[in-house]
Amino acid sequence: MGLEEEHDAEVQEVYARWLDGATRAAFAASLIAFLLYVSGAVPSFLPLEALPRYWGLPVGEFLRQTGAPAGWGWLNLLGGAEYLNLACMALICVVTLLCYLRIVPALLGLGERLQAALALAQVLVLLAAVSGFFAGG
Amino acid sequence: MEAAVAPWWIWPLALFAVSFAIGIVAVLGGIGGGVLFVPIVASFFPFHLDFVRGAGLVFALAGTLAAGPTLLRNRMASLRLVMPLALAGSVASVAGAVVGLSMSTDALQTALGVLVVAIAILIWLSKDAYDSGAIESDALGAALRMKGDYEDPSAGARIDWRTHRTLAGFGAFGAIGFLGGLFGLGAGFANVPALNLLMAAPLKVAVGSSGLIISIINSSAAWVYLHRGALLPILAVPAILGVMLGSRIGARLLAVTPAATVRRVVVAVMLLAGGRALLRGLGIWV
Repeated sequence: MGLEEEHDAEVQEVYARWLDGATRAAFAASLIAFLLYVSGAVPSFLPLEALPRYWGLPVGEFLRQTGAPAGWGWLNLLGGAEYLNLACMALICVVTLLCYLRIVPALLGLGERLQAALALAQVLVLLAAVSGFFAGG
Repeated sequence: MEAAVAPWWIWPLALFAVSFAIGIVAVLGGIGGGVLFVPIVASFFPFHLDFVRGAGLVFALAGTLAAGPTLLRNRMASLRLVMPLALAGSVASVAGAVVGLSMSTDALQTALGVLVVAIAILIWLSKDAYDSGAIESDALGAALRMKGDYEDPSAGARIDWRTHRTLAGFGAFGAIGFLGGLFGLGAGFANVPALNLLMAAPLKVAVGSSGLIISIINSSAAWVYLHRGALLPILAVPAILGVMLGSRIGARLLAVTPAATVRRVVVAVMLLAGGRALLRGLGIWV
């Protein structure tokens, strides 16, 4: 195995390890949060029985009629079961960013500057998406 | 059953069952589940298309995140191949998501119906995988070192591969990313031909890398839906749990199910769901 293949194997293993751990944690959290939601163990801001009246509306109308927040507003409502579930959805959506953040120093350490630059560019795109830059949130 | 009459819990349960079935069929058919999930749920469930597309992105994201570690470790997915293409795709996908959330529902339903029916016809007409044999990298592919190797147990050999037509590949993944963000699809149906037929990656590397690309592209677009309030947990979580369980069953059935049967089922379901979305968008069958 050449030096390049060794670097590939090392970086892929780092990415795989972080992907595996973060995905398992996010899915476990999602499952627990959903059970708390549908069992009623944690109260929701919008009662589950009322939800069918609103889930057929376009998202803008849904937000207007239910008073649900857009952007990062849900962070202030984590006491409600639906927003606890949304936080778990956010965890699933952030797994890739965590993996990329981990491989940037690994790539730099191996002297793979072009790959590191690509990974860094992807981190910036993902950070912009997470920040709400693209959604105007 | 009218949404207003049925108790709320019927819908997440039904969604779990449908996602479970899609998980099985998607693995057997070698397609991303999103291309079945979005038109089926948009056509036969009471949720608005905005929420269905948000759930569709997370649905495809969940399946590919779960498969990623195995694909990377057995070198069926190559980060060297994936990183540049996913970067182009993820920028385009957020643009698609933003455009999708500002379009009228009828226009989106119609476009979704046309796209899904067209994909079903393409799958029906598509030939077997392309085996590139030995090809030379182009200048950009060589600069990005888009090449690798993997152990193929069925061939009993180590397969060295490289890709070409890199610039066209960037264009293809930009377009695929935009459509994925627009409709909430994983777009695996387009990733694999782009990697295999256009860029000449071996089919196994194309399939494996496609999964990893979906996980990266959808991670970007899903945030647009989350920030706009278009991710409903009551819709997204049962879908995620169903597809994860179904995919595992599908992977076990893969060896014993005839490929031609699966292809017919996939095409039939897509024609039905795509036709329904099209008629709904045109106001013919609401």
